[in-house]
Amino acid sequence: MKPAVFDYSAPESIGEALDLLAEHGSGAKVLAGGQSLVPMLNFRLARPAHLIDVNGVGSLSYISANGALRIGAMTRLTALGESGDVAGAHPVIPAAVAQIGHRAIRNRGTIGGSLAHNDPAAELPAVLMALDAEVTARSADGERVIGMQDLIEDRLFDTTLDDTELLTEIRIPAAAGSSFGFREFARRHGDFALAGVAAVITTDGSTITQAALGAFGGTHATRLPTAEAALVGAEAGDAAFAAAGAGAAADFPATSDVHGTAEYRSHLINVLTVRALKDAAGQAGGGNG
Amino acid sequence: MTTTQENRWIGVSAPRREDAPLIRGRGRYIADIEPAGTVHMAILRSPYAHARINGIDTAAAEALDGVHCVLTAADLEGIGDFPTIWRLPGQKECTTPAFAPGKARYVGEPVAAVVADSRYLAEDALDLLDVDYEILDHVVDVEAALADGAPVINEDMGDNTIIEYTFPGINALGVAGDIDGAFEEADEIVSGRFKVGRYSGVALETRGHVAEWDDLRQTLTLHSGSQVASLLRTELAAALGIPETSVRILTPNIGGAFGNQWDRYPEDILVSLASMKLCRPVKWIEDRREALQATVHGREQLQEWQLAANSDGTVLGLKGRVLSDQGAHLHSVGIGPAWVTGAAAVNQYKIANYHCDVVGVATNKTPNSTFRGFGGPEAMFGIERMMDKTARRLGIDPAELRRRNMIQADEFPYFSPGGAVYDSGNYPAALEKALEAVEYDKVREEQQSLRDQGVYRGIGIASYIHVSGFGPSAILGILDYYTGGYEGSTVKIDPHGRATLYTGMIPMGQGTETTLAQVAADHLEIDIANVRVVWGDTDQTPYTGFGSAGSRSNVAAVAVIKAIEEIKAKAVRIGAGLLEADPDDVAYADGRISVKGAEEMRSLSLADVAQQAYWAHKLPEGDQPTLEATYVYDPANFTTACGTHVAVVDVDIDTGKIDWVKYVVVDDAGTIINPLLVEGQIHGALSNGLGGAMLEEFVYDEESGQLLSSTLMDYLVPSFTDLPDFEIHHLVTPSPHTEGGFKGMGEAGCFPAAGALANAVTDALSHLGVEADQTPVTPSRLWSLIDQAGG
Repeated sequence: MKPAVFDYSAPESIGEALDLLAEHGSGAKVLAGGQSLVPMLNFRLARPAHLIDVNGVGSLSYISANGALRIGAMTRLTALGESGDVAGAHPVIPAAVAQIGHRAIRNRGTIGGSLAHNDPAAELPAVLMALDAEVTARSADGERVIGMQDLIEDRLFDTTLDDTELLTEIRIPAAAGSSFGFREFARRHGDFALAGVAAVITTDGSTITQAALGAFGGTHATRLPTAEAALVGAEAGDAAFAAAGAGAAADFPATSDVHGTAEYRSHLINVLTVRALKDAAGQAGGGNG
Repeated sequence: MTTTQENRWIGVSAPRREDAPLIRGRGRYIADIEPAGTVHMAILRSPYAHARINGIDTAAAEALDGVHCVLTAADLEGIGDFPTIWRLPGQKECTTPAFAPGKARYVGEPVAAVVADSRYLAEDALDLLDVDYEILDHVVDVEAALADGAPVINEDMGDNTIIEYTFPGINALGVAGDIDGAFEEADEIVSGRFKVGRYSGVALETRGHVAEWDDLRQTLTLHSGSQVASLLRTELAAALGIPETSVRILTPNIGGAFGNQWDRYPEDILVSLASMKLCRPVKWIEDRREALQATVHGREQLQEWQLAANSDGTVLGLKGRVLSDQGAHLHSVGIGPAWVTGAAAVNQYKIANYHCDVVGVATNKTPNSTFRGFGGPEAMFGIERMMDKTARRLGIDPAELRRRNMIQADEFPYFSPGGAVYDSGNYPAALEKALEAVEYDKVREEQQSLRDQGVYRGIGIASYIHVSGFGPSAILGILDYYTGGYEGSTVKIDPHGRATLYTGMIPMGQGTETTLAQVAADHLEIDIANVRVVWGDTDQTPYTGFGSAGSRSNVAAVAVIKAIEEIKAKAVRIGAGLLEADPDDVAYADGRISVKGAEEMRSLSLADVAQQAYWAHKLPEGDQPTLEATYVYDPANFTTACGTHVAVVDVDIDTGKIDWVKYVVVDDAGTIINPLLVEGQIHGALSNGLGGAMLEEFVYDEESGQLLSSTLMDYLVPSFTDLPDFEIHHLVTPSPHTEGGFKGMGEAGCFPAAGALANAVTDALSHLGVEADQTPVTPSRLWSLIDQAGG
C-alpha cells in the first residue's frame, strides 16, 4: 500500500495554489487534511500526477462571525467543533463534528476537504445542505459562489468544482430562532454512519414554519423534501414527526453493504429522523414529542 | 539478604518487564530491522476467487529500473510446499504452496513476487505484471460447495469434501453411547442451526520477515514474527532444500500473533528464496489489505445440533453436524479447529450419548486455520445456545438447566464422550459465583419491570471448558498431529549466582518473559531482578515441539521448574563438598545451600556455590563444571480451564443496537502465576471473543467471490468504547497433572463470549421469539429478525 509516483508542490498563498491548479488541471489533486486522499493514494485508487498541498496556505484557515458565518476551507474539524462562534450560530455543527471519526482525524481533517471529497457517509455535506450553506470556489480566472445543492447534489466522491478551482470558503446564513436535532447510527463510535440526519426546524410556538433535513449514509448526501413537506405547517409533535420519518425513508437513497441492508438503512433513517425531530422539539421548548 | 517471603514470586502481580521498552518505543519489530543492502519484496495476489493462470508476462516489470527480480511459480523448481501437520485419518492430502499452483483459489493467493530497491518501486512493478487469468466459477458458501455440480476447488481431491470425521461418543468404558436410544427415549428434542462467523486475529502488527542469505557461509537468517520459530526452522529448511543446521530464526518483539502467526505461510518461503537468489537481505512487510486477505482466517462453521432431554431437564444426548468452511486449502493445522469443536461440544455437561460429524469443506476463500480459541469458542457457541433453547422449551431457568446437568466437582478425572479427559474443576461453583456476582435474581426481577417501560434487557449465561496445555506428545501422535507437545528450558546460573533462562516460547503479548521469570525466581528463591529470560533465537533457545501459544505458559513453566530442580540438586552436591557435610544433610532454601539445622553457621549463598562451580577446583565426582541444566517437559495430560460468563444487555428494538449493562467473568485456570497478567489476558481474549460476537466478520460477495471486508473500515475491530466493563472473579482448582497446578488461560476469555452475548440478546427479545443464532450479531441482522418477528 504505497502510492504511485506523483509530483508535489506546497504553495504558501491562494494565488500560488490557483496558478498550480491552472497549470496542472485534471492531473492535480489538492491535499487538505489528507484523511481520505492519503488512504486513496496508498490504495492507488487515486493516482494524481501532481499533489498540491495547501496546508501551508494560512489564509485559508479562519472562522468569522460578522453577519453570516464564514469559514475558511482549511479550518480543521477540531477548530470548527470547538469554536464558540460556530456553536452560537449553528449548534448543529459541533454536534455533527463530534461524530466525525476520532480526535486524531478531526485534528487533521478540514471542512473544505470534507466537502470537496463528498463522501456520501460524511456528516458535513448533509449538515451544510440543511443549513443552506454556500461555498466560494476560486480559480486563476476569478471566483464564483455555489450553493451546497449545486455543489454536491446527486454526486458522490465528486463535486461540480472545476479542475482548476479551489474551494476557499464556506458561508452559512444565520438561522436565528431555529432548533436542531442530529442523529446518526454507526456500528462503532467514530465510524462512517450507516445512516444519519441533521434536522433544523423553526416553530412559531407550536406550528412548524420551516424545516430543513439533510441526510447522509445513502448513495449520496441529500435533503429530505418529503419529510420537510410533512413538517412545514404541521404542529410539532408525534404525528408530524412520524410522517416526516416515513417521508425520510421514502426520500433516502439507501444502499446495501457489509454493514447493513438497504432495507435496514431505510428503516434507520425513519427512526433517526423521528428521534432528531424530538430532540429539536425538546430543545425549542415547545415540543410535545 | 532477602527472605523467603520476599522471594516467593508465584501469585504476585509483578508488573510486566516487557512494558518499559515497549511503552517507551524501544520495542524492536520486524519493520525496524533493515540490514545494509536490504531490498524489498511485494506480492502480486489473485484478484479473482478462482482463476486458472495461463501465463505471466514479467518482461515489463523486470525492465523497470530498480527491480532486482520477479518470482513466479516457474521459479519454484526444487522448492517444497509447507505440510499440513495435523493429518487426521481420512483427510485428503493438502499442502500450502508458495504460489498458487496453476490456478488461484482465493482472492489474495500469491501469484508472483517482485523484489526492488524500495517497496514503492516493487508495487510499481506489480502493476506491470501481466497475468493471463482464465476466470473459473467460484463458490464461497459451504453448503453450495457441497452441492452437486459445484466448482471443484482442488481437482486432486475430486470434490470439495476434504474430510468427514465422526466422533462416535466413546465413554469411559471405551464403548459408544446409545445416541438413537437417547433420542427415542427423550421427552423433548431441541434443534438448532448456527452460523459462526468468519473472523481472525487482525494483529496490530501485520506479518513480516527479513531474510538474510549468506552465500559464503551458506546460512539463512530469518527475522520473523512467527510464534513457532522451531517448527518454522524445520519446515523452512525442508521446503528450501537446505540443511536445518544452516537456518537461524530470530524473533524480535511481536505486535500480536493470536495463533495466526503459528502457521507457516507462502511468504516465509518467498522472502527466503529471493534472498538466496539475490544474495542480499530481502524484506517483506505485509500491508493491512494483505493481512486481511492472506493471513489465515478463523472460526467459520455451519453447525446443526439436536439435543435430547427429559422434561426434568436431564440432557440425554447430543448429536451434531459441523460443516467447517476451510477456505481454499488446508493450512498448517488442517481441520484441527473443527476437530476441537467436535471434541469439546459436550462442554461441562454430563451427556452420556454423543455423536458428531465434522466435515471439512473447501471454498474459494482464505484458508481457515489457527486462531485464538482453536475451535473451542465455536463449540461453546453451539452448546450454550442449545442449552438456552432447551431451557426455554422446557420452561426451566437457563441457570437451573445448567446446574442440573453439570459434571460435579467429585467426578474428575472425567472422560468426556468428545474424547477428552477433563482433569479438574468445579463447574457448579463457578456458575454460582457468576450468578451471585451478577445478582441474577435481582436482574431477572428488574427485567420484567423494565420491559413494561419498553426497555428490553436480556441475561445470557455461557459456561465453558478450555482444554489447554497442548499436549502430551504421545496423545498428539494418536491424533495424527505431527509435532511434539513438549517445551524445553535451559537455566544457567552465572558465577555471581544470577540466572539466565532460555525458552523456546515467544512472548507475543501474554507476558511470557515476566511469568517465566517469576516461576524461576520463585523456585530458585532469588530476587526476580536476578533472572534474565532469553528468547527468540533458534541458535540459543531449546527446540519447542509445539511452539508458543496463548495457553502454553503452563507447560513451559514446568520445564523451568524441572530444570531448576536439577540445578538445586547440583548446588546441594557442590555445597555439601564445600561445607564438608554429607549431601543428605544439606538443603537448598531461601536461595542458600545450608547444613540442615545449622543454617546460621554452615551456609553458602547460591553465588558462593556458583563461583565454585565455575572455578571447578573442587567438584564432586561425576559433576561437570558450571551450573546449568536443560529440561524438556512433555506434559502428562491436558489441563482443563473452565468458568462461566454472564452478559447483561439492553436491545434497542428500533435499531437493533445492543447496549452493555454488565459482564461478569468467573474463571478457573488453576494456580495463578501472575493475577495482573491473567486479568489482562482475560480482557484481551474477551475483547477478541466479543469482537467476533458483535463486530468482526470477513464477508465474501457471493456474486464475485470478492472479500468485501478488506480494510479496517469494513472489518470492525472493537475498541474499548464498544466493550463492557469486565467484572472478573477467580476460582482456583489446581491441575493435578502439572507441577505447580497451572492451567493454560490465555485463550479462555474468548470461549464463552459469543454464546453469552447471543443468549443475552435472545433473552432480551424472548417476547418476540427472536433467536440470535448467527455471529456476529450485527444491528442490521438483529433488526431484520426483530422485523420478521413483528417487533
